[in-house]
Amino acid sequence: MSDDVVLYIVIATALAFDFTNGFHDTANVVATSISTRAMSPKVAVTFAALLNFVGAFISLEVAATIASGIVNPDDITSTIVFAGLIGAIAWNLITWYFGLPSSSSHALIGGVVGAMIAAVGTSAVDGESLLGKVVVPALIAPIVAFSVAGLAILLAYRIVGRLRPGPVNRGFRLGQVASGGMLALAHGTNDAQKTMGIITLALIAHGSIDPNNFHVPTWVVVSSATAIALGTYSGGWRIIRTLGSRIIKMDTAQGFSAQGAGAAVILASSHFGYPLSTTHVISGGVMGAGAARRLSAVKWGVAGNMMVAWVLTIPMAGLIGGAAYGLTRVFGTGALGPVVVSILCIGLIAAVFGRRLQRGSVISAEAA
Amino acid sequence: MLATIVDWKTLGQVAAASFLAGVGVTTAFSFAIMGGTRMVDMRRQGRSVEAGAYGALLILSLVASAAAVAFGVIVMTAK
Repeated sequence: MSDDVVLYIVIATALAFDFTNGFHDTANVVATSISTRAMSPKVAVTFAALLNFVGAFISLEVAATIASGIVNPDDITSTIVFAGLIGAIAWNLITWYFGLPSSSSHALIGGVVGAMIAAVGTSAVDGESLLGKVVVPALIAPIVAFSVAGLAILLAYRIVGRLRPGPVNRGFRLGQVASGGMLALAHGTNDAQKTMGIITLALIAHGSIDPNNFHVPTWVVVSSATAIALGTYSGGWRIIRTLGSRIIKMDTAQGFSAQGAGAAVILASSHFGYPLSTTHVISGGVMGAGAARRLSAVKWGVAGNMMVAWVLTIPMAGLIGGAAYGLTRVFGTGALGPVVVSILCIGLIAAVFGRRLQRGSVISAEAA
Repeated sequence: MLATIVDWKTLGQVAAASFLAGVGVTTAFSFAIMGGTRMVDMRRQGRSVEAGAYGALLILSLVASAAAVAFGVIVMTAK
């Protein structure tokens, strides 16, 4: 009975994380399209939500689950996964509040690592793997995207620079529908997989799925795809504004170059099995497309705040994940801990959003 | 220490493929826009040979861009 309750809570928390993942990362996909008016905000988020949903069905290869090779899989328990998810959700909401794009994958890795350290100790975490698979790629991803988008926009300006602006803008706006669509598909495929993997692992740990007959149940695929699509549809307008207009004021060619570079880097990394953060790639692409035209076009203060958030993501999500695990264990090893922590989190989120709703509609303020 | 921890070879492949695909797609699509715009201009001026050449550039560039998108979808589904 207690195991069943913990399983239900882990599934609900994983789907809640999936929702915040879509909500938080909508900006990666739609910000440049909205900023260059390739699509209206409503059409852009609907388009992204639909393609995120479709993307979740494209690949069901969840063998490489989140944090694999970084933490010792033998030590993972449902409570650690739960606490890690709480850390990731909390960090996603904090960075959304400040309008900062940050990696949901890194938040999840940080949360699980923090909970693991609180539960087992540092011996359960492979520091070298964390450095090699997460930290170094996090530094390289924006640099590669920055360079690709920068070179791409320089060539694009050279080719279309002397043409009439009307057809050029219309052309690149049309191109952004395709490049934005590719990003949304890639995002749905990559990120919904994380939730599917976590729920499937929880089902295996519970004994609902035979580990020798590893498969992802259809309801897991459909619910994960739905959660990420609904999150995307909700639209994290604060981050969309940061990525779409606060870093640089983009023209259509820059928007297309940033998205094209982003899609190319993400797909190349998928092809070679070297996962990179979608957020870091797109942000790097946006900065590269802006800086190539004029270095001062990029608001480096905003970019600096974003990079601070990137550096803090793993330690802060880890700290919250560790604290959530500690709080859970205060109530013993049964289901009471996760139940109490879940109620506390829901209450905290409701209080924050309730206060904002009292001050004025969140949605109207954000969409304005 | 970083030399052994990080898979630099794969990272180099990712960077090279990203440059090829990212710069290639933007360049191809820019040529498509150029081809389309110039084709219309040339047609208006009654220069049918140049209009045909720019039309061919438009089609070739669009095919290259579409091929890149199709390859991207294949990469996603083949994961």
